[in-house]
Amino acid sequence: MAAVAASIPPQWYLLLAAGVFCIGLFGILTRSDALYFLMSVELMMNAANINFVAFSLYYGDLTGQVFALFVIALAAAEVAIGIGIILVLYRNFGDIDVTVPTEMRW
Amino acid sequence: MVDAFAYVPAVVLLPFFSFLVALGAGKYLPKGGAFGGIAATAGSFLLSLWIATAVAGGRAYDETLYTWAAGDQFELTFGALIDPLSALMLVIVTLVALLVHVFSLGYMNDEGETGLPRYYAGLGLFTASMLGFVVADNLLMAFMFFELVGLCSYLLIGFHFREPGPPSAAKKAFLVTRFGDYFFLVGVVAVFATFGTAAFAGEGSFPALAEAALAGDQAVWTPGGLDVMTWFTVVGLLVLGGVVGKSAQFPLHTWLPDAMEGPTPVSALIHAATMVAAGVYLVARMYGFYALTPTTLAVIAFIGGFTALFAATMGVVKDELKQVLAYSTISQYGYMMLALGAGGYVAAVFHLTTHAFFKALLFLGAGSVIIAMHHNEDMWDMGGLKARMPVTYYTFLAGSLALAGIFPFAGFWSKDEILYEALVHGLNEPLLLGGYAMGLLAVPVTAFYTFRMVFLTFHGEPRTDLAADPEPVRWNVKGPLTVLGSLAVVTGLINMVPVQKVLGLEGIDYLHRWLDNEWGGIDGLSSHHYADLGPYSSGYIAGGEVPTVLVGAAVSLGLALAGLGLAWRLYNVASPTEHTAKLGGIKDVLYNNYYLDELQVWIAYRTEDIAGGADTFDQGIIDGVVNGVSSVSLAGGSRVRRIQTGLVSQYAAMLTLGLIALLVLIGVNGGWFL
Repeated sequence: MAAVAASIPPQWYLLLAAGVFCIGLFGILTRSDALYFLMSVELMMNAANINFVAFSLYYGDLTGQVFALFVIALAAAEVAIGIGIILVLYRNFGDIDVTVPTEMRW
Repeated sequence: MVDAFAYVPAVVLLPFFSFLVALGAGKYLPKGGAFGGIAATAGSFLLSLWIATAVAGGRAYDETLYTWAAGDQFELTFGALIDPLSALMLVIVTLVALLVHVFSLGYMNDEGETGLPRYYAGLGLFTASMLGFVVADNLLMAFMFFELVGLCSYLLIGFHFREPGPPSAAKKAFLVTRFGDYFFLVGVVAVFATFGTAAFAGEGSFPALAEAALAGDQAVWTPGGLDVMTWFTVVGLLVLGGVVGKSAQFPLHTWLPDAMEGPTPVSALIHAATMVAAGVYLVARMYGFYALTPTTLAVIAFIGGFTALFAATMGVVKDELKQVLAYSTISQYGYMMLALGAGGYVAAVFHLTTHAFFKALLFLGAGSVIIAMHHNEDMWDMGGLKARMPVTYYTFLAGSLALAGIFPFAGFWSKDEILYEALVHGLNEPLLLGGYAMGLLAVPVTAFYTFRMVFLTFHGEPRTDLAADPEPVRWNVKGPLTVLGSLAVVTGLINMVPVQKVLGLEGIDYLHRWLDNEWGGIDGLSSHHYADLGPYSSGYIAGGEVPTVLVGAAVSLGLALAGLGLAWRLYNVASPTEHTAKLGGIKDVLYNNYYLDELQVWIAYRTEDIAGGADTFDQGIIDGVVNGVSSVSLAGGSRVRRIQTGLVSQYAAMLTLGLIALLVLIGVNGGWFL
């Protein structure tokens, strides 16, 4: 395990995380469908998780991995709430397009 | 052993809690929250007695309890100062407040008044503010509670706000005393600017610093390098402005007769223990400062003497019971000011004490008569009440004898000592002698109007059906009257200086010894110290101290008896007539209070332009700046809010752009791109 980790330099992990993050960001900026939003947010969060695990491995410290586990648990909760919001959105507007509800602006 | 001084804040807070309880829950309590007020003032009274015992045990208390603002130059604090003077005043205020609360059961509750929770809340706050003022250990705290007292008087005088008279009287009381307080406020600021502290007691207190500055041991700030003595006189006179307003001295006395519109127990409280007493107490509190400036003392003495005579003359022609008492209050506080100005610190405190008891007694007695007469206050509708309400009559008589200064009632001793002090110090000081002459002239006038009032109210035949069949009063009226009646008879015994001097008995001048820290107190706050500071030397007539005492007492007693005798001749008949008509034009002048109200209104109209200019400045410039600032914010806000579109994608884009901008900024600064 340690041998495999040592063979791959940490910047590859970081590049992977950055790529995943950018895909998520792209999804948020271009899509208007709330479900896509949710998935994009998941992607960005997992990019962060990859960073955690990568650095944890690099420094030989387990704290980062524990953090990643916490983030996964939180992400599960976040998905539950997010889907709840989308459900309410659909009931109120008959659509899950996030550009439709703009009542709360100035 | 628990320390009595630990309970000093409780003395003030108990009535304050009764205010909160009456205000918040008075509706749901029996008697509109009266019992809360009675319990609170009774508690305060007992604690005050305990504190006075501790002072008698040789101790004193001067602590800063709370610092609410601290700066480089000075700090603003709340604290408590308990010395013989404030301990005595605490006992007086709490006792009178307690009796007034009990009396209110008879005057307000039994008469079926509405709005009782508001009334008892007002009484509680009034008492609490006065107690806070009494224990104040610095001038600023005193000023704040001084203002609270003024506010409470406004609320209580205007208690019957549905009638036209009381609200207008309340406004007048508030505005006139505010006018004096304005000078007081400037005085407080001047004290801070000059000394950097406003503490009353201790090494670094402002009277002590002023003393050192006059001796040349201490440098103080004065505006434009003014002479220290002149500047202290100015500061003293500024603070005196507040005193003149609150203690109803000429020319700011006009609010007090109008304040009779308030419920009678409130009048008793205002005149005996709170509000009006506050002014005189303030001078006594900072007497170490006033004693340093002879000019201020002379002004105080002259204003006092003049007010004593001036108010007494107006009392002679009034038809309403409470109006007579109102002018007698102004006149009696004039005596106290005369005493303070004449270097008679103890005499003034003595008269403050005796007056508190006999004036509360007279007002409560008047309240009892007013209940009996179904709220008719005109003395010409009364008469013959003596046989029908004996308790009220005899207590009222005791109070009247004390007010008139008849031996051996309380008022005789205190008034006599004031006149004695003014005389012996005045023999070397012409201005003071003028004050003495006016004080002496006021004596027969006082006796005359007092007994005119007694005879018209209680003697002769009933002049109306109401007076023939008065409504009976209950224990809650008679109880307080009895207590105060006894006090009006015996309070003089605490300070029988003439007896001591004539008979050569040592040590029966208890009040002198009390205020001279003989039992306990704070250095620099003793009557002895004040006498050393004062500018006066004593002169005697008829070759010595003892003859001077005897002649002084004989003259004032003789004049009082003469006034009483005249009243007896004119009004103690079966059906008295209005003899004042013989005064002709003078009567109209007196009856209309020397047209001073009209004069003040006239001045107000003449100065309308100034007030208008000040209003324009306030509305246009001061408010203009404030409104300008707010409209800039408003306009900016209404533009900037446009970026909040409600589209989540745009928010996310902005976040991303912000992040990128931040990264670029950090990168450029950190030299990443080089």
